[in-house]
Formats: sequence, C-alpha cells, structure tokens
Amino acid sequence: MKGKISGYQIRTALKLGLLYLVLFAFAMAFILPFFFLLTGSFKTSSDLFHVPFRWLPSKFTFDNYKQVFTKIPFFRYLKNTLIIVVFNMIGALISNSLIGYGFARLRWPGRDKVFMIVIATMILPYQVTLIPLYIMYTKVKWVGTFLPLIVPGFFGNAFFIFLMRQFLVGIPREITESARIDGANEFRIFWQLIMPISKPVLATVAIMSFMNSWKDFLGPLVFLGSDKLYTLSLAASMLRSNLNPNWELLLALGVVMVLPVLILFFVLQKYFIQGITMSGIKG
Amino acid sequence: MKKRILTAAAVGCALFLTTGLTAMAETKTVHMGDREIEVEVTDIGKSGTFTYWSAFTGDSATWEQERVDAFNEAYADLGISVDVQYVPDGAGINNGKLLSAIAGGTAPDLLITDNPTSAYQYAAEGCFAPLDGILEDIELDVSDFYDGCKDVMYYDGTCYLVPQDTNVIMLYYRPDLAAEAGLDPDNPPTNVEELDAWADALTVQEDDGSYSRFGLIPWLDSGDDAFVLPFIFGADPYLADEGRIDLTSDQMVNYMTWIQSYAKKYDPEKINAFTSGLGGMFSPDHAFMTGKVAMTFTGNWFTEALRQYAPDVEYRVCPVPVPEGGRVKSSSFGCNVFAIPEGTSEEQAELAALYIKFCEQGSVNEDNFAQWRSIPVIDAAFDDVSLTKNGDEIYALEREIAASPENGIPALCAVSAELSTQFQNLRQTLIYNTDLDPAAELKTLEDQMNAML
Amino acid sequence: MEKKKKGFLSEYTGSRMRRNEARTGLLFVLPWIIGFLVFTLYPIGSSLYYSLCNYKVVGAPKFIGLDNYRNLFKDRIFIQACKNTAYMILIGVPVTTLTAIAMSIMLNNKKLRGTSWMRVIFFIPTLVPTVVGCLLWIWVMQPESGLVNTFLGYIGIKGPGWLSSPTWAKPAFILMMIWTCGNAIIIYLAGLQDISPALYDAAEVDGANFLQQSIHISVPLLRPTILYNMVTLIIGVFQWFTEPYIMTEGGPSNATMFYSLYLYQNAFSFFKMGYASAQAWIMLLVAMIIIIVMFKVFRFGETEMG
Repeated sequence: MKGKISGYQIRTALKLGLLYLVLFAFAMAFILPFFFLLTGSFKTSSDLFHVPFRWLPSKFTFDNYKQVFTKIPFFRYLKNTLIIVVFNMIGALISNSLIGYGFARLRWPGRDKVFMIVIATMILPYQVTLIPLYIMYTKVKWVGTFLPLIVPGFFGNAFFIFLMRQFLVGIPREITESARIDGANEFRIFWQLIMPISKPVLATVAIMSFMNSWKDFLGPLVFLGSDKLYTLSLAASMLRSNLNPNWELLLALGVVMVLPVLILFFVLQKYFIQGITMSGIKG
Repeated sequence: MKKRILTAAAVGCALFLTTGLTAMAETKTVHMGDREIEVEVTDIGKSGTFTYWSAFTGDSATWEQERVDAFNEAYADLGISVDVQYVPDGAGINNGKLLSAIAGGTAPDLLITDNPTSAYQYAAEGCFAPLDGILEDIELDVSDFYDGCKDVMYYDGTCYLVPQDTNVIMLYYRPDLAAEAGLDPDNPPTNVEELDAWADALTVQEDDGSYSRFGLIPWLDSGDDAFVLPFIFGADPYLADEGRIDLTSDQMVNYMTWIQSYAKKYDPEKINAFTSGLGGMFSPDHAFMTGKVAMTFTGNWFTEALRQYAPDVEYRVCPVPVPEGGRVKSSSFGCNVFAIPEGTSEEQAELAALYIKFCEQGSVNEDNFAQWRSIPVIDAAFDDVSLTKNGDEIYALEREIAASPENGIPALCAVSAELSTQFQNLRQTLIYNTDLDPAAELKTLEDQMNAML
Repeated sequence: MEKKKKGFLSEYTGSRMRRNEARTGLLFVLPWIIGFLVFTLYPIGSSLYYSLCNYKVVGAPKFIGLDNYRNLFKDRIFIQACKNTAYMILIGVPVTTLTAIAMSIMLNNKKLRGTSWMRVIFFIPTLVPTVVGCLLWIWVMQPESGLVNTFLGYIGIKGPGWLSSPTWAKPAFILMMIWTCGNAIIIYLAGLQDISPALYDAAEVDGANFLQQSIHISVPLLRPTILYNMVTLIIGVFQWFTEPYIMTEGGPSNATMFYSLYLYQNAFSFFKMGYASAQAWIMLLVAMIIIIVMFKVFRFGETEMG
C-alpha cells in the first residue's frame, strides 16, 4: 500500500515536472526575443552581426541610445505621440462605454442587427477607406493636423464596442432595475452604477486604445503633413537612412518604444487581465 | 478704346515679364555643414517660400538639411526660402502618402525621390508638372545631361523629372579569393562565358553537398532589381517607339535562361540559407564581406558599405560582363530625381526649380559624390569632383562606364512600377521552379502587361 | 410619417417605459451611428463605386462595370495571394489555436505554482508595437545568426533560410502568430476557470487521463471562447499587412504575398484604386461568409444567442 502511494506520488511529481519543463520552454521562447532586443541595443554593430550569435555584448555601449535621442527629434515625436494617444484614450473610454451600454443594456428595435453591422466593420481593411477619407479630411482642412488621428476615436471602435458590450451584458439586470423603477434617468444609471463596476473592461479598452495609437504607422504617415507632427512609430523610418538601416539604432529605438507600453501594462495589469477575461468569453 | 488699353497693358506685362524673367546669376560663398562652398545664385525677380518633400532620412537627412540651409543662406537676400519635410519611403511615393496628397491637393511644391521608376509612372499619369518652360526661365540647361538619364527625364517628349545625380552598376570581386582559386585578379571576366567560368571556379562545395561559398549569385544585390541586368545584357523591356512591352526578345529570354541555369546548378534553398543579409548591402554579414560570395553585381554605393563594415576586405570592380549582343562597359542608371507636382502654381514652381538648379552644382553635390561615389549627370562635371582630382580608380572606371552611349534607365512606361514588381515575381518563380519554361512565362507576362497599356 | 414611426416601434409600444428605453438606447448609440456614417459607410460606399471603375486616384473614376472583378480572377498574383491567405487560415489559425489551448490547459493545472508570471510572459509579446515586433522577428529568423537557427544548431539541425525561403516563409509567419497569441491564452484561461472542477473529478474517477479530459471536457466547453478567438484571428489574417510589408514585401516568389498586402500594392504602388477596391469588397464578402459559417458550426445545438 505504502509503495503504491509513493509510486503514484512519483508519477504525479514527474508529470508536474514535465509540465513545468514544457511551460518553461515555451516561456523562454516567448521571452528570448526581448532578451535579444535588450542586449542587442547595447551592442556595437560588429557584435550584433557576429556569427555565431553572441548572447551578450562583448562591450556594452550606450552609444545607440545616445544616437536615437540625437539623430531624430525623439522628444518631439514622443510629445506628438502622447497627444494623439491621450486624446484617443479619452475618446475611446467615453464613446465606447456609452455605445456599449446602448447595445448591452437598452432594448431598441433592430439592435441586434445593427450590432452585426458593428461586428462586420471589424473586417474592413483600412487601406480601402484611406483615400476617400483623405479626400474628405482635405476638404475640411484636417490634413496636416492631429484631427484625423483623434476625432474618429470619439465615435467608437467596433472592437472596443464589442468588448464593452460583452462585459456589460454580463452584469446582472437586477443591479439597474431598481434604480430604473425609482425613476433614475438612464445616464445616471450608466454613470453612477455601471461605470464604477466596469473598471476592468475600461482598463482593457484604455490599454488597447493606447496600443493602437502608439503603434499606428500608416495613419500618422499619411495624415500628418509635417515632420514636426510625426509620431514615434514613424521614428524607425526616419532613423534609417536610404541605404543603411542602422540596425543597432533600430534595436535601441525598439526598447524605447516597448518600455512605456510595458510600464502601462504592469500598472493596469490586474484590471486589464480581468477585463479581457470577463468580456471575451461569452461570445 | 478699351481694346487699346488692353493691348497696352499686355505689352507692358510682356515687357515686365521679359525683364522680370531675365535671370541674373551671381556667385556667393555660403556654409554647407562645416565647409564653405561657392554657389551660383539666380535672381528671377521673384521671392517667396516653397514646400519640399525630401526622401532622405537618417544620416542622409543630415546632408539634406545642410543643403537646405545652404540654399536658404544663398537666397536669403532675394527673399526665397525652402521649407523641407522629410518623408520616408521615397517621399511617400510608394506608401500612399504622395498619392493621397496629390488626390487631396496638398502635395508639396517640390520633391525628390530615390525611386525613379515609380516617379516616372507618376509623371505618365499626369501627377507632375511639365518642366521645360520652367527650366528655361531659370536657365537650367539640361541638354548636356547623359542621354541615359534623359530616359527618365522625358515622358512623351516633355520633361517631368530632373536627376540630381546618378549611380552605375559594376561587378565587385574578391581578388584574394580569385587568386586562391587560380584565377588572375588582374583580368576579371569580360563576357558571360568567362563570368560563368569564374563563378564555377570560385564556388566551394563541401563533402556533405552544402556550399561554403558561391562564386556568383546573379540575383543578389542589384541583380535583384527588376531590369538592371536584363538591360545590361542587351534587353529593352519597353519599346518606346512602338509603345509596347517586350519581354520576349532573345536577350531577355537568354538572360532568364541564364538566371535559371544558376538555379539549376545550385539549389536556391541552399543559397538562401546563408545569403539573406539584414541590411541589404549595409551589414557586416553581407555575403560578399564574409567571403561567402566572391562576386556580386552592385552599385557604386557599395564601396561605402565596404568602407564602413568591412574595411579590411580586399575588393576590386570591373564593368558587368555581358553576353553577345549585350551592352559592353555600360550600366543602367539609378537616379535620385526631382519633380514638381501638378497643381503647383507657376510662381512656386519657378522657385522650386531654383532649388533643383542649386542642387545640380558640383560644390553642393561634392559630399554626396565623395561619400557614395555617386556621379554627376554631366560628364564635364566629373573634373570638379575631388575623387577625380585625387585619381580615384573606381571613380575613373565609373566615369568611363557612365560615358557609354548605351546607358539608360530601362522599362520606363505608364505601368513601370507594376511591371518591375511582376517581373521580379516572375524571376523568383523561375528560380524556384526550374522546370518552367522562361520563354513561355515571359510571353504570358508580356501579354498581361501589354493589355494594361 | 408619424404613423410609420409608431408602427416601427409598435412592438415596444406596450409600455411608455419601453419606448423611452428605445429612444435612450438610440441616443447612447448615436456616436457610433454618426461615426459609422461618416468614417465607414461613406468611404466604403465610395470604394464600392470605385470597384466598378477604372480609378487611378488622379483623374476622375471611369465606370467599367464588373471588369475589375473579372480581371482579378485572371490575375495570377491575386490567386497566389488568395492561396497564401487560405494557407494561413487553414493551417496557421488552427495551429495557433491549438497551441494557445494547450498552453492554457497546462497553465490551468491547479497543482502548478508560479503560473501567474508565466501568464504575464505569454502576454507581453502582444504589447510590442508591430514595427518593433517585425524588426525582432527578422532577427529571430536570420539564417546564420538568428535565434531559431542558433537553437536548431545546438541540436544538430541546419535551419532553413526562413524568410528568404518560399517553403519556410509562411511557417515563419505562423511562428510569429503563435508568439502573439497571449491575448487568446488569457481568454482561454478565463473560459477554463468557468468549468466546474467536479467534471474533472468525475472523469478522474472514470480513469480518464489528462489528454482525454482535455479533449472531452475542456475543449467542448470552451466552444464559445474558441469561436471568439478564431474569428479574431481570421480577421487578423485577412488584414495581415504590416508584418509581410516590413519583413518580406511579399517575397520570396510571392510566398508571403497575402491578401491585404497585394491590395495595398495595387492601390498605392500601381495606381489601381478601382482594382484594389474590388479586392476589398471580395475580402469583405468572403470574410463575412467564413465568419457566419463558423458561427453556425460552433453554435450548432446551442440556444444562447448573442
């Protein structure tokens, strides 16, 4: 009897060990490119291209970072990016929570059909809408300003509406029903009852909207007429010269571009994962 | 009465215009970077500011900014200045930015791009302003430009583009490896048979069938450009007189068959396993620098890459060897071209053209020439370049090649961008499918592209 | 007009409150309706019209009927692009989905400790700006000094040229897709946590092993989650653009010429906006059909409806 138990324990332990090993290997595979990014940004170009691959720089250099900050107007790009990012986050939070609420907790004729249209717009390739939009923005004199990159954010985004709706549908009706019977107007219910308990999904929308505008390349490229308005995602193109890509500088730029997102993620991590968890699943 | 006044006014205007347009040139000393250079300043009796999109980014942007500052300094007294924007990806010519701007009427007054093929297509589509009159007004004489450059300058007899400089393609080879393989480095190959013999002699295959070195990979570097090699090999992909695309000439079919013969000789998958350089030509792991290929076709700019990343590697250059019927000691030109988008007012266009004229000067281009070994678009201008004065051998060879009357820029037509892409695709398909017949495939593409014209 | 409006709301006229609710609902959704009309319907409507035209952006569109659509099916690169995209949907999406499910099932093991930091690690790649991710993967996939081939070298395998090989370029992109599946893992984990442990206990008693439990309990109960993730992935594949644009430009030998990339090339490099618009409309229709079919397949026998 005793032997049998220990055999079982050994098998369980082995299985667990194996599981750890597999997961650990996967985790390593996921994290290694970052290790490469970080170490690469401290390498000289001859180190970087060394065959066989060098795990660590033979000589740490901060030169790449120095060049990133001096060769391009880094802080101006950062400022521009932040302006766009912040307005987009505000716009996304306000508009998508309202719209999501309208789809999730209020009944009106044709609602579910309209929601299907919302889903359908997720599939649209933006390349096709680019030229008509550009012509439209030119007519209202928006090209060359931040407006084309900011204003649409205030009118909802299909993916965020979807997230919001999924989350809000999951909140029990009873929570709002009594307030409604008491005659509270819908906006108050939305603002005072629903929003406070929607923090997770709001955090998710905030991060995702941050990332969308943080990494948007084509939008800034096409709509920002002046290089004084350029954003960080264009920095890579501005940093490489026409023939020489300057790889070591690009890696340093990569680190600088990933860091803010990581910081934001770790700050909001608890809410964020909760937000995705609670909204994505109930299809 | 009324009529007479009008006539008088017209005469007055004409008088004013002629006097106003008589360009006056003077020489000035201005700063460019940390140097002082002599430049010519042309007074056309107008002043103002114009916008300019430059395709130069990164380190090249530093140079462009110096040039812009020099221009603004030179023209400050005349009240003329340029407002430069750096627009990546060839001044937005390939990524939708320029097209959107033209569609929306927000294009700049002037632009420079490193993609002459696409620029030509824009010109053919009517996106750029005709320049003949403007160039005459500001007295920029382009008649001495290399005939090869004129291919890209004129569409349908009208000038739309002006090259700032040009480049030539040569064969780079490693004399140390050649000597090792028992070849004479002083007598590089001059025709395709010799080239093939060199390629075979320089190729090193291991016992397990893998390769540790290739003599030549004909689709590496500039060999990867759509029409550079076919052109030097004698093909004319677009027949301007007949207005049709010709991909089935003997020269073209021979070229493609030749390319395929390399794919048959060496398994292309094996070639891939060690040739994909990260920076194209600008990384220390480039196969030529590491000795994994002994010969390669590329432009004069590669000397700068070698200087930066492989200063110890010994190399030499020679004209691209050609088959029978090829263009001997010749090259296709690769230019950076200026253009003035359609819709720019005449006044702005003339100011913009002054910048073009400014940039054509040897003193302004000197750094560009010295660093990249780019060459002027006029033969006489070579004399003033420091490389010529210093007796640089490669530069002398470039001048010799540039002087060939057979040079040109191939396949420029109203569908040139798509033609290049489709042709490159076809070549890759033939490389990876050696059982396909080049002649038949080329015919299919030719018909498809001609249908679009 | 008034009458019609009444009829329109007739099923809601039961109570005044309901009618109010409908009005408020529309008010809440109003920003989307405006945005949809201005930023989506107008441009997409224009593009429907363009798709029937020879439109070069410069100059007016010229109506040519269905020629663009007809020509597309004669276009070899278009067909290649369709095949490549189909490859990613038929192989890439399932492989990524399976990997994500497998990892989340492993992570969900209650006896395992320290899974929270692993969860974070799996998630981090999704936070990387696309441009940076592409730069990294060009390196990871380098034939000589790249991470993947360095590791393959340690175990005695000479890795392929990945991005420069027509055979291996698409698998390289699939690996990249897996690398960014952290979002899906977190959603699967959430789905798994909803499954009652009693089900597993019962299966354990019946002698079902880990794999059997996964196949017979976890996967079926994850159906809505799988549907959601796969639909997101498929949309992503249709719009797959920045990665091939930066990393391969569609090469080698068109092996990575994906649908959106070719669309972009036609629109902005070849002056064929009409042609590109036709492509966009085909894509829209095909994606809709695929997604509707998937909803039908996954929802079969279920009663709950969005």
